[in-house]
Amino acid sequence: MPTRAFSFSPVASPRLSVPCSVVFRKILIANRGEIALRVLRACRELGIRTVAVFSDADRGAPHVLEADEAWRLGPAPATESYLRGDRILELAQQTGADAIHPGYGFLSENADFAHACEQAGVKFIGPPSSAMRMLGSKTNARQAADAAGMPRTPGCVTGLASPEEALDVAAAVGYPVMLKAAAGGGGKGMRAVFSPDDLPSAFAAASSEAERAFGSGEVYLEKLIERPRHIEIQVLADEHGHCVSLGERECSVQRRHQKVIEEAPSAVVGENLRRRMGEAAVRLAKSAGYTNAGTIEFLVDDEQKFYFLEMNTRLQVEHPVTELVTGHDLVHLQIRIAAGEPLPFSQDDVRLRGHAIECRVYAEDPANGFMPSPGRITRLLQPGGPGIREDCGIYEGWVVPMDYDPMLSKLVAFAPTREMAIARMLRALDEYVIGGIRTNLGLFRRILRDPDFCAARIDTGYLDRLLAEHPIPQVEKEDGAVPIPAIAAAALFEASKPTNGHALNGNGAHGSVWKTAARGEAVGWKSHRG
Amino acid sequence: MKLQVEIQGQTREVEIEPGEAPGQWAIRVDGEVVEADAHMVRPGVLSLLIGGQSHRLVLDPHAEEPALLLGPQRIAYGVEDPRSLKARRRHGGGEGPATLKASMPGRVVRVLVEWGAQIEAHQGVVVIEAMKMQNELKSPKAGKVVELKVSAGDTVSAGDVLAIIA
Repeated sequence: MPTRAFSFSPVASPRLSVPCSVVFRKILIANRGEIALRVLRACRELGIRTVAVFSDADRGAPHVLEADEAWRLGPAPATESYLRGDRILELAQQTGADAIHPGYGFLSENADFAHACEQAGVKFIGPPSSAMRMLGSKTNARQAADAAGMPRTPGCVTGLASPEEALDVAAAVGYPVMLKAAAGGGGKGMRAVFSPDDLPSAFAAASSEAERAFGSGEVYLEKLIERPRHIEIQVLADEHGHCVSLGERECSVQRRHQKVIEEAPSAVVGENLRRRMGEAAVRLAKSAGYTNAGTIEFLVDDEQKFYFLEMNTRLQVEHPVTELVTGHDLVHLQIRIAAGEPLPFSQDDVRLRGHAIECRVYAEDPANGFMPSPGRITRLLQPGGPGIREDCGIYEGWVVPMDYDPMLSKLVAFAPTREMAIARMLRALDEYVIGGIRTNLGLFRRILRDPDFCAARIDTGYLDRLLAEHPIPQVEKEDGAVPIPAIAAAALFEASKPTNGHALNGNGAHGSVWKTAARGEAVGWKSHRG
Repeated sequence: MKLQVEIQGQTREVEIEPGEAPGQWAIRVDGEVVEADAHMVRPGVLSLLIGGQSHRLVLDPHAEEPALLLGPQRIAYGVEDPRSLKARRRHGGGEGPATLKASMPGRVVRVLVEWGAQIEAHQGVVVIEAMKMQNELKSPKAGKVVELKVSAGDTVSAGDVLAIIA
């Protein structure tokens, strides 16, 4: 299919009218948290009934409360609940679900599970298990990239048999090199190696870490690209041979190989580079027989050369930024594609408009080594207003379980320009209050005000350098002047305690703050948020 | 009404008097009187208008570090015993035994020291896993492990004592 350069257009993308002919009546959502809610909302919008599944830790979780049906999977640990593909498939059949949406994480990239769904006649909303197998292993994916004529980092395309072989490959591509787990993800089983002396021990460490994390110790080696940007291309492929790319996402702001802030478009990708990356991504997807939503990740060096990194065969966490700049709902499209509909638009129809930034809000304490901070959310004031989207899976009173990923929500700002999107995000962050647990909201304020971030001078090492140069203080400054409003508020909160409030009532002037609070509750502060 | 508030590690004397109209308060801090219009928007969320300036203060009853949130600022508030704050700050100093507590709920993955071992300051003592992340808790001081209260596989809550180093 011919592709044409994207162009930035001030007008909305032409949306073709699509008849609502989705054949699914009921979808089981095999996930939790914000993504389960995200998928559930899409189903509702398409008139499809929803089945939620939950572990014991999630009985009160939003996805359970919002779904049409909800069924218990098992105890809190993921291995006994959200990773129990057999039980999930059984539930899909019992409840009469036509399809399963796996979200991201958990079973979303498990080819065996996708295969089991295919065998059982329950549609897996994602690629066929064959494509997942081909692209799920990083070494296989590198072979596929070669076959599709896609640039990749120099290095091997099969697993390394021994440290000696690793030394040979490293000598051929030149140091520094990166050891990676073939089955890897999330930064596990990865080691940067700067000299041959360090290679054997790094090989052993990466291999055993990979074995522990993924059940496969296979590692391969590639040349380390210095100060790269992480830029990825979203693709959508239907089951009739059509495949389009929906532009890029810049995900260079990372900590320990985990994305922290994502944006679309990238400040450094022009039309020409976008077209070339998009075409390469579509070639790979087509050659692998890929269908549904997928993401091809690239490293881009300072000369704007791009190298294939890996393919994620699922919906990404950061998909909302693409939705905002393209105007397409990726989850709707995933469901339609899985139902056998053709893509309702062609590459020529894809237009990017405006700029979107996403912050991944985590229950963690940046001042304390980013330690996870599970617990009860005692206070929640959420931002809103123009251009703000929050995909979240929490509410006031919800206890964030310690058993899963600490992501609380994804805060997304959309505006005509990058500068305005940053200002909008900062405004939303100031409105956002999450009490009872520690979060990384303060970290985002710092990054979004950093001159290098504002000038888009970022690469995958950017955040680590920022944190090394300006560590977040462990103890908040205790000697500085306390703002008067804080002292006044402390006194009024103190006075509003029932014991003190009682004493206040005695003077007859007027009711205590406590009473005011009670009144506020009675007249329905709940409607305040609406 | 005179009140003592613990704020940012200091004890402050504050006097508050209700004014004529509901929600009006005269607040005396360090000899200065501030006229404030206070409105409890919902429990724990207070709107203060001082000289027309609008401030939103949120009470965060965090288990270990309760605080007032004022815009992006987090201000420690309501520490029950002011001495405990000072004691916490002294921890690294080496005086007296140090207690290593779990800073979050989780599962003990590994115990890195043995009972009775002599260890260095900042040496790892226990590895706790929560939310798919492993975190090594380090000794606040050099000394001897006089108590070791957990072993691998245990589930701990925030604030649980893991070890005592003397």
